[in-house]
Amino acid sequence: MSLVTLVISIFNAEFYAVVPSIPCSRLALIGKIIHPRQVIHSVVHAIMGMLVAWCTAVMTKGKFQFLAVSCTTSESLDDALPQMCLNEYHLFFLLSGAFMGYSYSLLYLINNMNYLPFPVIQQYKYLRFRRSLLLLIKHSCVESLYFVRNFCVAYYFFGYIPKVWISTTMNLHLDSELHPLDSLTGLLDISLFYHAWLCGVFLLITWYIAWLLFKIHATETHHFPVQPTFAEETDQCLPKILNSNPPLIIKFLALQDLMLLSQYSPVRRQEVFSLSQPGGHPHNWTAISRECLSLLSDLTQRLIAQQEAAAANGRVKQPAGELKVSPQTPGASNIIPRASMSSLVKPSLTPLKTLSGSDVGSPLSSPSLNCKMGILGVNSPWHVSVQSPQVTRRGPKLWTSDSDLQMNGSHQKSSPVVSAARVGSEVVQPRFIYTWLQNKQEQIKNFLAKRVLIMYFFSKHPEASIQAVFSDAQMHIWALEGLSHLVAASFTEDQFGVVQTTLPAILNTLLTLQEVVDRYFKLPHVSSKPPRISGSLVDTSYKTLRFALRASLKTALYRITTVFGEHLNAVQVSTEHKKRLQQFLEYKE
Amino acid sequence: LCSCPPPHPKWKQVTLGHIPPPFPTLLLAPHHGRSWGEDTGRRPRFPSCHLSLLPGSATIPSLKHRLQRNVAAMAWKPLCASILAVACQSCVLVWHLDPTSLSTRPSSGCAQVLSYPGHSPVTSLAWAPSGELLLSASPVDTTMLVWDVSTENCVQLQWFGGGGVTYLAWSPDGSKVLAATPSAVFRVWEAQMWTCEWWPTMKGRCQTGCWSPDGSRLLFTVLGESVIYSLSFSEYRGEMQGQVGGSKTASIVADLSETTFETLYGEERVGGEAHSMVWDPTGERLAVIIRGNVAPWLCCNCSFFLFSSSGFLRGECGAQPQLIAFHPSFKKGALLTVVSWLDSMLFEVFSSPDGSGIL
Repeated sequence: MSLVTLVISIFNAEFYAVVPSIPCSRLALIGKIIHPRQVIHSVVHAIMGMLVAWCTAVMTKGKFQFLAVSCTTSESLDDALPQMCLNEYHLFFLLSGAFMGYSYSLLYLINNMNYLPFPVIQQYKYLRFRRSLLLLIKHSCVESLYFVRNFCVAYYFFGYIPKVWISTTMNLHLDSELHPLDSLTGLLDISLFYHAWLCGVFLLITWYIAWLLFKIHATETHHFPVQPTFAEETDQCLPKILNSNPPLIIKFLALQDLMLLSQYSPVRRQEVFSLSQPGGHPHNWTAISRECLSLLSDLTQRLIAQQEAAAANGRVKQPAGELKVSPQTPGASNIIPRASMSSLVKPSLTPLKTLSGSDVGSPLSSPSLNCKMGILGVNSPWHVSVQSPQVTRRGPKLWTSDSDLQMNGSHQKSSPVVSAARVGSEVVQPRFIYTWLQNKQEQIKNFLAKRVLIMYFFSKHPEASIQAVFSDAQMHIWALEGLSHLVAASFTEDQFGVVQTTLPAILNTLLTLQEVVDRYFKLPHVSSKPPRISGSLVDTSYKTLRFALRASLKTALYRITTVFGEHLNAVQVSTEHKKRLQQFLEYKE
Repeated sequence: LCSCPPPHPKWKQVTLGHIPPPFPTLLLAPHHGRSWGEDTGRRPRFPSCHLSLLPGSATIPSLKHRLQRNVAAMAWKPLCASILAVACQSCVLVWHLDPTSLSTRPSSGCAQVLSYPGHSPVTSLAWAPSGELLLSASPVDTTMLVWDVSTENCVQLQWFGGGGVTYLAWSPDGSKVLAATPSAVFRVWEAQMWTCEWWPTMKGRCQTGCWSPDGSRLLFTVLGESVIYSLSFSEYRGEMQGQVGGSKTASIVADLSETTFETLYGEERVGGEAHSMVWDPTGERLAVIIRGNVAPWLCCNCSFFLFSSSGFLRGECGAQPQLIAFHPSFKKGALLTVVSWLDSMLFEVFSSPDGSGIL
């Protein structure tokens, strides 16, 4: 048993991630499932499940204990040795253990349980653990019920395979007196259910506790010194860590520590605002502010790129004046419909479904993905409009994940906007072959686009795409909070004025980011909240990170403007930004 | 003693018409001084709030939502111009309002519903001064919820004994939270590691309390006694300390028992239990509603904690002050707003700039 727990914990530690990986399309999800890493994860969990089931079966004694028992047939011939028969109950147990292990692993993947959410408030570890324990137990009981039910169905259909295999390899006979378990009468055994359920509860509770403890310890706050007191600590001090490229979890912990120190620790704030000896340079503040600002500008760039991709997706290939009726094919991200496709149109039969983020549970929901591609005029690239009953609900075509953005740049040769970027770097002759290849690719894609099944797998889910853009937004939220608290505190605590010189840059970055975020939120589906399931063990806070980012951005700006007040008029910012700052000062935002 | 001063030219008079006599709630928005009154909706078809905005805007938006029943508390989010949390019977509604919009009826899509099973009725709310967290509490639930409003995640803080929470007050520096319970015990939580200490009171439950601006002193009153107690807390330093640091006993700083005064108009009897208290943001003035009269007390926030009365405010005959609040960022002293309740069921709001020294 301890071996099992050890192996599970090793897997937890290997597979954790601070940034959830969100599959944007069904194909990506399937790809994630059949990825070798995941396959190993599932197989090992299945084996562990079997081991746990074996332990519990042995502990239960009674009829589950041994794989082979002597047969109960009394009318058999007078043998010298009693025949050994397969104890189907034991086999059932072992297989249910394996099944539960596998299902646990699958759910772990789908629910992104390897994601480590950082807590909203800081609490002592024991309190956090105690708080989650009851929920964990309840969740395990319910989930075990589902697993047992699913396993019974699976065993009913496929139970004979392992039965036959084991009995032939181990030379055991199938007991003809007892009901075989893979029939309805065999399966409707309450005591069997109860035992299997209990085994499942035990298994899930131990595994979930291991997962919970890992989560709590990994997201515990770590104290990074700002000013290293000893030479060995120079590598661990906060400015250095922020500026180098540490593993993501270290960076997260460092930013969390920055956020906490900016709010609660006057001593460490003084260290941040201090000057170096003997040069008199504010190294600490420069390093910290530079890193935070670069994180924020990074995010700004990413959002701008997303918006441009969304705009480009909606652009017409050949600007046609009239509205074309779209075929029934749902949109894929890279396809620009040709004018000739309009002849293949049938009026669409599926009703226009809104792509609201109203799916519960799994990240992708089936029916609402069917959307029509529309060819609108150039002037409204992302305006969701219904022009006529047959046409144009702008579909997932708008949504590209980050990986597609790189591909997009090379595929949209026909769009005059994008092709300009590639012109300079190409020679004439390779370009001819290249364009021919591109043509062929597009033809294949258009052909495939008509196949609904292909589109079912390839189409991008908008809600998932949006979540993927903001998947590491927790870093930015902490950077915003830390920076704004430090700036607000510097009004009274900064003796050397190190913050003043960077104030224009900070304000510029924050205001630009706010503009970009506001524009991004005007895109369809971004401002709709995914439904919240309260009281679940699985943490889905990564789904709403964009709202937290927007709120903390606003609060950060208000914090700075409230503290500085009218003094902000003396800061050098562009006139446009000055106007926005004035709005903040008047509480009109 | 003075009679009520003329209405401040900057405030509109807000009349709400015939409303059943519930408990109106007044809040001052940060910086702006938006105020509104509401009725706690004994009649379910009037669960609405009316906002009156600053001069220049003639619109009074009213907020209606089907879940907005039995509103018991409201709070504006600090460091924000547009978010209002409303404590309702079964949930907390968070309204996102546009401060520049002219619509008189914001749609219910602007409201976020924060609900948690078993947490109803919600009667007290408190925003963290840094603006990120919202505390909600109910007198029948022993769990206090800490909400991260934008992600709608909540953390439950549980304790044992004492019942739910009847009054919440967050200290202005963001370090401590007072949570009064229906029994003779009140708790003070520190907002870093969320541990708490509790104090038993002698006679009854803690009726009301307010914090000094730096979070080092808590003034509170107890139901059934007409004194103001003070509890001091150690200086907040460092991080991750997880200590509340309160002193072991509270001392009495003011005695509000009934006394008689000789005035120009004859004898006046003043005194009694304190109904609610507010401390102004500079820490220089404390206003207390005593069983029908408003008494601004002058106090100094230095180490010698002096407390002396600077006078009384009395409204029109028959008016009962229900709510008081200081303007959060008034530059010329302190601006106190009193909402009082006249028998004819009309609201009247007036405010008096305190700096002029009439009192």
